Amino acid sequence: MQARFLLIPAAALTISVPAHAAIYLSVEQAQALMFPGETFTAQPVTLTDDQVSKIEDASDTNVLGNQLKAWKASGGGWFIVDQVVGKHEFIPFALALDANGAVKDIEILEYRESYGDEVRNPKWRAQFTGKHNGDTLKLTEDIQNISGATLSSKHITDGVRRLLATYAIVLANH
Amino acid sequence: MQSYSRIIDSGIERAKPLLGTTVSMRVHGLPPACAHAAIDAGFAAVRTVHETMSFHEGDSDVSRLNREAYRNPVAVSDPTYAVIARACAISAITKGAFDITVAPLLVARGLLPCPARAPDPDGCATWRDIELLPANHIRFRRRLWIDLGGIAKGYAVDRAMDALQGFAPKQACVNAGGDLRIAGPDAERVRLDADRGNDETVPVIALANGSLASSEGRPAGPHIDPRYRAAEARQFVSVAAPRCIDADALTKVVMARGACSARSLAIFSAHAVVHDAAFGWREIRGHG
Repeated sequence: MQARFLLIPAAALTISVPAHAAIYLSVEQAQALMFPGETFTAQPVTLTDDQVSKIEDASDTNVLGNQLKAWKASGGGWFIVDQVVGKHEFIPFALALDANGAVKDIEILEYRESYGDEVRNPKWRAQFTGKHNGDTLKLTEDIQNISGATLSSKHITDGVRRLLATYAIVLANH
Repeated sequence: MQSYSRIIDSGIERAKPLLGTTVSMRVHGLPPACAHAAIDAGFAAVRTVHETMSFHEGDSDVSRLNREAYRNPVAVSDPTYAVIARACAISAITKGAFDITVAPLLVARGLLPCPARAPDPDGCATWRDIELLPANHIRFRRRLWIDLGGIAKGYAVDRAMDALQGFAPKQACVNAGGDLRIAGPDAERVRLDADRGNDETVPVIALANGSLASSEGRPAGPHIDPRYRAAEARQFVSVAAPRCIDADALTKVVMARGACSARSLAIFSAHAVVHDAAFGWREIRGHG
């Protein structure tokens, strides 16, 4: 093991790409991983006000928008892309349900979380503007990882519960 | 000295909600299908830990122990036995500054749910009342509740890294909500996400072939000094160690004992950095 502690002036990090602004998977990649070999039919749904309030009652969470991004997999399962509000920003995730509506898998698609208090500092934020995973101009200066007090994944758990209620109320009879 | 300059590709990385946090895994130098198979194997390893060592799941090994181990020896899985054995060894080495029997205090603070049908704990019980018996059996000498929340994440990271290594990536990283392990020829920089109120400098650890875990102590938070059964003052602690299970557990020891933990750190080839408002950043190097 080698471990060295450094205090780097913030101004020296103008080209760093933090892992916490990572794009993990595209929608197509997530579909292929979660339902290998299957094909997908887009079945977008616009939720009615009545459906939204039923989902909110059943899941004890807030519905963020009325557009449901759902795909039916050729094996009978469902693939849904949605997002939750993390500590500061939206976290898109994909939920795979089997043909019976049970959770088969969850993949987080992007993570732009956890600049902590620095998120409100324009100087800190400016260094990340326009950066994407893969913009690795100078890997020597990359900060690939963040270690801190453990962030809860409760917001994602809540989002999954909301989609399970959405499935029961809206998709199960599709 | 290893450099941080040779990671050849940006790697393939995925993340899932597990262990109550977000767990991410990244591998470099593998074809995509192989990289995803490696990451699938890594997540399967984490899921096993999640299911067997959860305080929340009623049928986990931990819940069965808390319900039954005071009355009869309880058989647990190999991983659960290994983690509890390691936890007790760390308790012995640190003279109780790490102790998995503080669960009742976490329940009292509303940080953990009250376990169903478990006998009320004896306030005098400590890690010394956990009896490790042959054939993966564990018995409690007093009524007590254990929580592996302070060590199982690190163990899960170690098992996930084992799974990734089975696919021989050039470089790999597993990060379970800030408890992480890095393997491969390149050092990687890890930013320490301490709430410091000063962003002129960025605290970073350059880490190669090792593990790092961090904790932030705060009033009424999950960090309890087992010796005084009292909450810690606000401070940020990161521990680097070869194995993540040790790094994870040792953050609590450094939180409780500060510079006095140097001897314990040395036993695990670990060292620590600590931040608090009064002293800023300090390094604690393990020495014998």
